[in-house]
Amino acid sequence: MNINSHLWLAVFYLLTLMLTQSTAQADETCMSPYMAKIVGQEDFVYIWTRGMPGIGDEQDKLVTVDVNPESPNYKKVVHSVSVGGRNEAHHSGLTDDRQYLWASGLDTSKVFIFDIHTDPARPKLEKTITDFVKTSGGVVGPHTNYALPGRMMLTALSNNRDHGGRTALVEYTNAGQFVATHWMPTDDNLQGAVKSGNYADGYGYDIRALPRRNVMITSSFTGWNNYMMDLGKLMADGEAMKRFGNTVVVWDLHTRKPKQVLDVPGAPLEIRCAWGAMHDWCFTSTALTSKLWLIHEDNKGEWHAKEVADIGDADKIPLPVDISIAADDSLLWVDTWNDGMVHLYDISDPFNPQEILTEKIGEQLNMLSQSWDGTRVYFTSSLLANWDKKEAANGGDLQFFKAYSWDGNKLKHEFTIDFLEEKLGSPHQMRFGAYSLY
Amino acid sequence: MPVIIREQRSAVLVWLLAALFAVSVHAEHASHRQEPDQVLAPGYGPLNFTAPEAGSYQLPPLGAAADGILLDSLGTRLHLSDLYGDRFVVLSFIYTSCSDANGCPLATYVLSQAQKRLSREPDLIDEVRLISVSFDPLNDTPPVMRDYRSRFSRAAIDWHFLTAESAAGLAPLLTAYGQVLKKDYDAEGNFTGSFSHILRVYLIDRSARIRNIYSVSFLHADTLVNDIKTLLLSEALPEASAPASSSLQGPGDNKQGYEGAGYTTRSKSLPSRQGKPADLMQVVHNPPLGLPPVPVPEDNLITPARVQLGRKLFYDRRLSHNSTISCAMCHVPEQGFTVNEMATAVGIEGRSVRRNAPTIYNSAYETRIFRDGRETSLEQQVWGPLLAANEMGNPSVGYVVEQLQQLADYKGLFEGAFNGRGPGMETIGMALASYERTLVSANSAFDRWYFGKQEDALTAAAKRGFRLFDGKAGCSRCHSIGARHALFTDNGMHNTGIGYQATFDTPSTRTVPVAPGESVTVATAMPGKPGDLGRYEVTQDPADRWKYKTPSLRNVALTQPYMHDGSISSLREVVEFYNTGGVAHRNLDPLIGPLSLASDEMDDLVAFLVSLTGDNTDLIVADAFAAPVGDP
Repeated sequence: MNINSHLWLAVFYLLTLMLTQSTAQADETCMSPYMAKIVGQEDFVYIWTRGMPGIGDEQDKLVTVDVNPESPNYKKVVHSVSVGGRNEAHHSGLTDDRQYLWASGLDTSKVFIFDIHTDPARPKLEKTITDFVKTSGGVVGPHTNYALPGRMMLTALSNNRDHGGRTALVEYTNAGQFVATHWMPTDDNLQGAVKSGNYADGYGYDIRALPRRNVMITSSFTGWNNYMMDLGKLMADGEAMKRFGNTVVVWDLHTRKPKQVLDVPGAPLEIRCAWGAMHDWCFTSTALTSKLWLIHEDNKGEWHAKEVADIGDADKIPLPVDISIAADDSLLWVDTWNDGMVHLYDISDPFNPQEILTEKIGEQLNMLSQSWDGTRVYFTSSLLANWDKKEAANGGDLQFFKAYSWDGNKLKHEFTIDFLEEKLGSPHQMRFGAYSLY
Repeated sequence: MPVIIREQRSAVLVWLLAALFAVSVHAEHASHRQEPDQVLAPGYGPLNFTAPEAGSYQLPPLGAAADGILLDSLGTRLHLSDLYGDRFVVLSFIYTSCSDANGCPLATYVLSQAQKRLSREPDLIDEVRLISVSFDPLNDTPPVMRDYRSRFSRAAIDWHFLTAESAAGLAPLLTAYGQVLKKDYDAEGNFTGSFSHILRVYLIDRSARIRNIYSVSFLHADTLVNDIKTLLLSEALPEASAPASSSLQGPGDNKQGYEGAGYTTRSKSLPSRQGKPADLMQVVHNPPLGLPPVPVPEDNLITPARVQLGRKLFYDRRLSHNSTISCAMCHVPEQGFTVNEMATAVGIEGRSVRRNAPTIYNSAYETRIFRDGRETSLEQQVWGPLLAANEMGNPSVGYVVEQLQQLADYKGLFEGAFNGRGPGMETIGMALASYERTLVSANSAFDRWYFGKQEDALTAAAKRGFRLFDGKAGCSRCHSIGARHALFTDNGMHNTGIGYQATFDTPSTRTVPVAPGESVTVATAMPGKPGDLGRYEVTQDPADRWKYKTPSLRNVALTQPYMHDGSISSLREVVEFYNTGGVAHRNLDPLIGPLSLASDEMDDLVAFLVSLTGDNTDLIVADAFAAPVGDP
C-alpha cells in the first residue's frame, strides 16, 4: 500500500526512540517497546466496549471511531463488531507487528483476536481463545495483552481455585497458541525472587517491559471475587477489602523469572515506563491509597519503589486508574475514576512530580490514550461492570468517549460520543489504528 | 515527512559496511562509530545487562517451525525441514540489498558474531546451524546469495544462505514465520527496492519447534548463544515440579493481621495446591466419632460412581451459564467449604448474593437446607444455585442437562452411575448430593474427649469453654449436643437480631481497609441493596422475620466470616456478640439474652469452638485438590 503522504504517518520501531535522547516526540501511549508506532494522525480509535444489559445488543463489542479530522466520517462510530456475551471487556493490546488486536474478558477469560490490518476501518474477529483457563493451568481473568517479540504476554487477575488474587502471567504466540504460564511469586515459592519488603501476595494486573534493562514490571490488583463484586457491597466488606494487591514484581525479561518483589501498598494498577535512554524507571499509581509511585533502578541494578506524590484527596478514595506518560518523559496524565478528573503531573524530576493541571472530564473517568505527538488525548469512562456508577449525580454523561486536543497548556474538548445514547455499552480501553501501517 | 529510520540509510550504510566487514572491530567500539542522530540496535554493542546464565531458565516451545521449499546458494531445491532435526537452528529472514542498519544487517551481524563465538566452543560447533533466508527472491538469486555467503560464512559453523524460486512460492513460509512485508514507495509511488518488515530471528530446536523469537530490541549474540546452550542443557534435564504445599487449610492468601502495619504475606503458590484422592466411601460407612450414621435416602443409595461423578460436577465451572462458577467457587475446600474472603457471596457476572455461603461440611445431616431452610433435601437443593440468576445463572434445567449431554468428558458417567440413566434433573441432583454427603467431618478433639473419654484430648481451656457452652452461656440450647453424638445444631430457625439490625440500622459511615495497617472512613452507600427477612420469605409468617437456621459448629474455626450475612469476622467477636445478648428488639429469640461472660470465659468458649475441627479435614481437602476443575 502506498503511503498517504498528507497524513504524514509513518511507522518506526521503538528502539529508535528509546535510545534517541534528543527526541521531542511524545508517546502513542504505553505501547510495547516492540511495537510499530503511529507517529502522525491516527485514523481510528478501537474501543473495547463492555456490553450492558438493556443497552443495544447487550454484548461486548469492539467499536471503531473515526478520529481523523480529514476524514468525512470524523467523529463517527464507523464500525462495531459484537463478540457474543458479556465477558467483562477490559483491556486490549496489539501484536508486535500490529496486525492483530487482542481484547480480553476478565469474567469469562475469553480472548478475542481481531484482524485490524486487512481493513483498519473494519476490524474482523478472527479467533477467540476460549480455553485460556484450562490451558494455562487455572489462570482466570486475562487483563493486559502485551506484545513481546512474536508473542503476547497476558497478565491475569485471578484463578479457578478460589477466585482470589493469586495468579500468573500467561504467554501465547501471536498465532494464539499457548506457550507458558509464569506464576507470580508467592511466599512459599518466591522462585528465586528477593522479597524486598513484607509482601509477596502473588497478585497481578499490568505489565511493561524495559528491554534494555532486561526487566518486566508487573503490578497487582485483586481477584475475580472483588473485581466482579458490586462496588458498594465490596466497600462494605472488610474481609474482601483486604484482598487487594500490595506488590510490584520486577522480572528478568529474558528468563521470565521474578527477581524482586517490592512493597507498593494499595493496589498498584497501570505501569508506564520511561523512554529516555538513561531513565531506568516506571510509574504506577495505587488505586486505594491514591499515590503515585516511582519504580526505579539504582546504579547497582537493584530496583526500588518510592511513593512520590499524592493524587487528589486520598480520604475520598478518588481511585486513580489509567496513567499515560509522554515520550519525552516530561509529563504524566492520571485519571481519577471516582470524581471524573484528569490530573497532569510534570515529571521532569520523577522523584518529585508536580501537579500542573486538574480538570473535570466526566461523571466517571477511566482510560486515557494520547497520540504520539501528545497533541490529542482521548478519554473513556468505564471501569468495571459492577463498579461503574449507575446514574450521573448531576445529569452528566455516564458512559462516553471524549476527544480532546492538548496545546501544552490547556485541554480543548473536540467531541464526545455518548455510548449509552449510541446503544453501545461501556467504553474501556482504546487502541489506535491507521491505514498507513499496512 | 515520513519519519522512517530508513531515510537515513546512506549514513547508516557506511557504518554498516564497516561493522560487517571489519570483523576485527570489537563490538564495544563499533557502537561509537554510528552517526550522531542514528541509534543502533543493542545487538551491535555490548549487552546492557549480563545475559542470564545458560541453563538457569527455560525456553518453552512457541509452536512448530514451518516448512517450505527453498533454493540453496547453488540453486538446488531443498525443504527447509531438511535442515532441521539434527542441530539447533538459528533462522533469519533478510534481503541482501537491505540498508536499514536495524533491519536485516543487524540479523546478519548478530549471526556472524554468534558464529565467531560458537566456533570457539568445540561442544557447540556441530550442534548449531545458521540459516539466512532471503525474502526478495527476485533480486537475491542463488549466485547473489552465494556471493553474500562468502562474505560472512567463514568459520566452522554451518551457515546456509537460501532463497526461493519466486515471491509467490515463498509467501506461505513468510506468513508462517510472521514476516509481514510492505514494499516501500517513494513520493511518486515507485517501489524503492526496500521493504518495511518487522525483524524476527528464530531459534529452533531439534524437534523443529520454535524456542525463541528475537526482534530489534532483543537480538544479541550473548543471549542467543546462551539460549542455544540452555536448549542443549535442557535436553538432559528433567522437568521441575512444584513443591507440594505443607498445610492444606485456610485461604492460600492469608490476610490475618492485615489491620496492623506489621502485616506480612504468607501466600501459597497455586501449583503447589496438589492433592491426593481419598476413599470417600469409607467415612460414609464408618462415620467419625461424634456423628450419627450418615443419612442416605433410599432412592439415592450412595455408590462410588455417584460420589465420583458428583465430585466432578462440584468442581466444574462449566456448570454455570457462562462457565465461570462451579459449586466450589463459593464452597472452596480449603476455606472450610465456604468462602473466607468475603462476607456474602458473589455469583455469575458478579451479581450480589445476599447471604454468606454456608459450609457444606456435614450437610448430610441437615434436615433443612439454605440459611432460611427453604429446601428439604440435598438432591433438590442443588438446583437452587444452578438456576438462581445471581448464582450460577443457568436459564433452565434443560439447558444444564443438554450441556452435560454434550460434554465429552461426561460421556457414559451418568449412565454408569445410574443404571443407564443419563444426565437429568434427578440424576444431576443425586450425583452432587452423593458427593456432598461424603464431606462428613468429626472425631475432633472435643469428640475424643467427650464421646471417646480421652481425658487428655482436650485442653483445659476448651474443657472450661465446654462447660460454659453447655451451661452459663446456653449455647447448646440451639447448638445441640446429644448423648452419643452431636450435630451442634437443632436444625431450627432463630432470630439473633443481626437481620433486624441490617434492615433498620445501617451505619452511615464505614472504615474501609485500603492497605495493610491503613484505612479510610467513607460514607456507606449501597443503593439497591436487597432486603433480607430470613425465614419469613419462605413462610410469610411475621413471626419468622429475621429468623435463620442454626448452623452446625463443627469445623467452625475453618468457616469464617460468621452469621447469615458474614458480618462478624472472628469467633471471638461472635462470642462477644452473644455475650451482649444479640440485637435487642421485639422479635429477638427468647433464648438469646445478655450472658455476663468475663473476658477469659469468652476466651475459653473460643478455645472450645476451635476444638470442634474434625481430624479428617486434611483428607477431605486433599481429595478435593485432586479433583479435576472443569473449564471450557
